[in-house]
Amino acid sequence: MFESLMISLQLAFVTTSILLLIALPLAYLLAYRSFVGRTALEVVVALPLVLPPTVLGYYVLMMIAPHSPLGLLWQRLFDSSLAFSFSGMVFASVLYSLPFAVQPLQQAFRAIPKRWLEMAETEGLNVKQLFFQLLLPASKGGILVASALTFAHTMGEFGVVLMVGGSIPGETKVASIALFEMVEMQQQSDAWLLALVLLAISFVMLSLVYSVNQLGAQRLMHR
Amino acid sequence: MKNHLQLSAQLGNLNLQADISFEHDFILVTGENGAGKTTLLRAIAGFEAVKGQLIVNHTVWLDSGSAFNLPTRKRKIGCLWSDPALLPWLSVKKNILFGCVVANEAWLQELAAALEVTHLMERRVAMLSTGEAQRIALARALYKKPKLLLLDEPLSAQAPALRQRLRKLLKSYWQQQEMTLIMVSHDPEDTKFLANQHWCMREGRLFAEVLHQPNRDVIYE
Repeated sequence: MFESLMISLQLAFVTTSILLLIALPLAYLLAYRSFVGRTALEVVVALPLVLPPTVLGYYVLMMIAPHSPLGLLWQRLFDSSLAFSFSGMVFASVLYSLPFAVQPLQQAFRAIPKRWLEMAETEGLNVKQLFFQLLLPASKGGILVASALTFAHTMGEFGVVLMVGGSIPGETKVASIALFEMVEMQQQSDAWLLALVLLAISFVMLSLVYSVNQLGAQRLMHR
Repeated sequence: MKNHLQLSAQLGNLNLQADISFEHDFILVTGENGAGKTTLLRAIAGFEAVKGQLIVNHTVWLDSGSAFNLPTRKRKIGCLWSDPALLPWLSVKKNILFGCVVANEAWLQELAAALEVTHLMERRVAMLSTGEAQRIALARALYKKPKLLLLDEPLSAQAPALRQRLRKLLKSYWQQQEMTLIMVSHDPEDTKFLANQHWCMREGRLFAEVLHQPNRDVIYE
């Protein structure tokens, strides 16, 4: 039980870290830039919200299969298979939790007062300076919400990680799959405890999200 | 190349029309509410989609004939709007220095003293009064020594005595820096004593009159 919980926590931590790096520039593009294919990109980002996890898992498995271009490249670079590995699960989780990271950041960027952005332009800031000196500090709440939601969502993944990871003990068996197997094997007390831990993690993460949102709403009222 | 402003745009209900040449003048813009004064400043700053030609300091900023529009960040202007747009997570000092790679401490101290904000430098923005916030935003606009300064009612939140001192400061700054200053104001005192050019906006149209010849040696007392 402890082992699967640690794998889940590791997966959630790595996925959240990678997703923040991807989601920040992506959210910036979607919040402020108009370009051909913008709507299509927004739809692709939001797709995991409505797609059955098994469908996404199936496509990811096809993408990272040993004979796929990505699978072959991975094999050549790291001399190991991407499918049914922790790295494969990270790849799948990044795609599956993408909207949970991008959308709060996009909203946070859009909530930045236009006057601040115009002031930054008159002060001559380039895109890099704008990002680090204005957008990031002004979106601290959004970054926290995106991190908490991504972390909690990754902790609760089942279908995708089962398809891509294959439930290998000590490697890809995450807490949600372990819980399913405990129930199947009638290990009620272990199942009860693991479910409680997962519930507590989700509760803490969502409390963080709501606290940040409430704080943001209060600041907006006093602005 | 003389500074030239020839702009036209339909912005909502406002039909903006301006065609005027100017030099390193202290220009005061007046007009009724909704006449387009702030929109004119925003158009000069590059925040409104306008057509025409804009030449400032021997540089073409806008030439819609050749589809050229210099981005705002490259225009090197100083601006002060009705909202001071100070960043709440920064101290007053860092707000003034916002966007600067290296700080010129001597100039910062001189500016802070002139604007009477030296005692506020380490304070948080949330602790400032409206008048103090306006002066900090003015300090930020002046700090980079821009060659064009756009000010939208910069003294509106100041007490009368301080307003008088700031008028002197603006005028001496304009005299020293050889720059153009375009300032929107409803205060007749400003029209009377500050500017050497007066632009009047009526329903989006710009009319100009020369008030008196620029006398860079005399500061209003």
